[in-house]
Amino acid sequence: MYQKAVAVPNRLGVHARPAALIVKKAAVFGSEITISNGIEEVNGKSIMGVMTLAAGQGTELLISASGEDEERAVEELCSLVSSGFGED
Amino acid sequence: MSRSFEGTPASPGIAVGPAFLLDVEELRVARREISGETEAGKELARLDDALSATCEELRSLSDGMGELVEGRQILDVHMMLLDDPVMLADVRRRITENRDNAEHALSQVLYDVIQRFRAMEDPLIRERASDVRDVGRRVLAKLLGSEREALGRVSRPVVLVSRELDPSVAAGLRRDQVLGFATDEGGSTSHTAILARSLGIPAVVALREAAEAVQPGMTVIVDGIHGRVILDPQQDELEYYTRLRDKYSEMEAAIARNASDPAVTADGRPVELAGNIEFSQEADQVRKYGGRGIGLFRTEFLRLLSPDADDEDMQCMAYSHALREMKPYPVVIRTLDLGGDKFPGVPELRERNPFLGWRAIRVCLDKPDILRRQISAILRASVEGTAWLLIPMVTELDQVLRTRDMLEDTKLALARDGIPFDPGIPLGIMVETPAAAIAIDIFLPHVDFVSIGTNDLTQYTLAVDRGSPYVAHLFDPLHPAVLRQIDHVVRKCHAAGRWVGVCGQIAGEPLAVPLLLGLGVDELSVSISLIPDIKKMIGVVDTAEAAGLAGEALAADSALKVRQLARSYVQGRFPTILLNGFQGTEE
Repeated sequence: MYQKAVAVPNRLGVHARPAALIVKKAAVFGSEITISNGIEEVNGKSIMGVMTLAAGQGTELLISASGEDEERAVEELCSLVSSGFGED
Repeated sequence: MSRSFEGTPASPGIAVGPAFLLDVEELRVARREISGETEAGKELARLDDALSATCEELRSLSDGMGELVEGRQILDVHMMLLDDPVMLADVRRRITENRDNAEHALSQVLYDVIQRFRAMEDPLIRERASDVRDVGRRVLAKLLGSEREALGRVSRPVVLVSRELDPSVAAGLRRDQVLGFATDEGGSTSHTAILARSLGIPAVVALREAAEAVQPGMTVIVDGIHGRVILDPQQDELEYYTRLRDKYSEMEAAIARNASDPAVTADGRPVELAGNIEFSQEADQVRKYGGRGIGLFRTEFLRLLSPDADDEDMQCMAYSHALREMKPYPVVIRTLDLGGDKFPGVPELRERNPFLGWRAIRVCLDKPDILRRQISAILRASVEGTAWLLIPMVTELDQVLRTRDMLEDTKLALARDGIPFDPGIPLGIMVETPAAAIAIDIFLPHVDFVSIGTNDLTQYTLAVDRGSPYVAHLFDPLHPAVLRQIDHVVRKCHAAGRWVGVCGQIAGEPLAVPLLLGLGVDELSVSISLIPDIKKMIGVVDTAEAAGLAGEALAADSALKVRQLARSYVQGRFPTILLNGFQGTEE
C-alpha cells in the first residue's frame, strides 16, 4: 500500500466538480483507492463518497492506494488536489 | 408509533392495509419481495437496463447542450452518480441479499445518500442532494414506467398515500389493488375524489402532511366516513377500525341485496328512481345502489378532466360505458353546462352576473362546433343503450329549434358515413328558469321530455345566490313559488303526453319526496348514495295522500309551512328516514 497526505488549496474545496475530477482520475487506475479526511474514509472511485467528505479549503486528505499502480495513482491524485483543480 | 391526521372525507368506507407511496419524487418506493435467485437475477438485469437507458438519455441531453459547459458539467456529474461503484454495490446487495425489488433497493440507497448530503454543513455539498434526487428520479421512472404500471405490480392490495393523485392515475385504480387512498391535497369535489366514490374506494383528502410521515409498507387506516387517517395504528385502534370496516361492508351488502327491489309507493304505484352522475364509471355505482337509469349525466367533467375534452371519440367512449351499464334504462345526457370562459379560445369573461350571462346552451349555440361534436358523440354512443339528449338553461324556443336542427344534421352526416345511431333519440329540455316553467306550453310541441332542475329554478325564481351568506337562508326549493311552477310544468307535460323528471337536490331530500310524488312527477333522479334512502321513503308514501299533501303545500304561504306539512306527513310513517344513514351503525 502507498499513501500520501495533501491539503485542499482551493477556496471552494472539494465540491461537485473537483470530486468528479478526482473520481475520473481514480477510475483510470487498477488499484483500490481510498481517501480519508481524518474522520471518514471513502472509496476514491465513488463520487458520492468523495463528495460526502465535504473537504473544505485547508482540509488534509490522506490518499491511499493498493495494487499494481498504487504509487502512480497516489502521486497523480495528490498533484490533482494540490493544483486546486484549476480553480482560484 | 400511531399518528393520526385529519382531512376531508372524500369517499365513504374504511380501509386498513399497507401503505403504497405514489411518490417517486421523494424517492420512496414500496418494497416487493423477490421470490428467488432467478427473480433476483431478473431484478439485477432490470436495474442495469434502467441505468444504461438513463445514461444514454443523459449523454444525448449533454450532447444537445453544445457550448453550455456548466450544463454539461452537471450532467457529467449525474452520469458519474449513476456509475458510482459503492452505490451500485449497495443496491445490488439489497437485491440479492434482502430480496428487494430493484426500484425499492435503489430508492432506499439513494434516499440514504440524500439524507447524508442534507446533513452536510457545506451548502455546496448540501445542494448536491437535489442532483442525486434528480438522477434517481430518472432511473426510477425507467424502472417503474408510469406510476399506474407500478401499481399494477403490487402483490397484495394496498392503501395509496400520496401528496396528490392525478385523475388520470386515479382512473386506472382497480378495486382489487387499492383498498383506499389518502392524499395531502385535493378537496371532496375534486375529480379524483368523485372517482373514488364511483369506484367505492374509501378516501380522505386534504391531509396536508400524511404523505410526509408515512413509510412504505406501514399499516394505514383510512376512515373515509370521518375524514381521518391513522399511520401505524395501535392494537386497539386496529381492532376498532377493523370492526367498523366489517360493519360498513355489511351495510353495503344490505344495500346491494335491496338494490334489485323496485321503487314502489305504499299503494303499489311504481316510481322511476335514477341517479345523477358526473363520471361514466359512476354508472356502476348507480346500478349497485339500485338506481334504474341516470336522470342526469353531467358532461362538464370531460372538459375539466382532460385537454382532449372535445375529442369526439373520448366522449363517445364515456357515454357508451354509462349506456351499457344502465341498459335497458335511460341515460339522460346533458350537453355542456358551463360558463363561456370555460371554453377554449375564450378570454376570461368579465360578466357582472355570470348566472345571468353567457353560459350553457347559450354558449354551445354560439360555438356550434363544440356542440356538434358532443351531439355526434352522444349519437354514436346511442346504439349501446337508451340515450336521451338534454339541453340546459333553455329560455327561448329558438334554442330548442336550433339544437333540433343540429341534431338532425348530425344524424344525416353519420348516416352518410354509415355510422349507426339511434334515430329516435329523444331531445329534452331542462326546466330551470321561470321562463321555461311558466311558458312550458311553448316548448312542449318541440321536445320529447322535460327534466326539472330545481337548484337553478329555485335560484332564478327566488333571486337568491346560495353562495351569499346574507341571503342563503332565503334559498329553499320547497318555496310555494317553486312548487307551483313544478305543478304547472307537470300538468302541462302530462296533458301533452310528455314525461317529466326532477333531477335537482330537492329530489334527494326525504321531505320533498311525498310532495314531488303528489305533484305527479314521473322520475326522481338523486345523488347515488341517496338512492336507498329515497327508495325507502317512496315505499311509505301513499299516492292519494301525497296528492292531498301537495295540494296543501301549493296553498301554503311559505317554505316553512310547506316543510311543516311535509314533516308531519313523513314523521308519522318513517321517523328514522330523517336520520343520517350511517350514524346509526357507528358505536
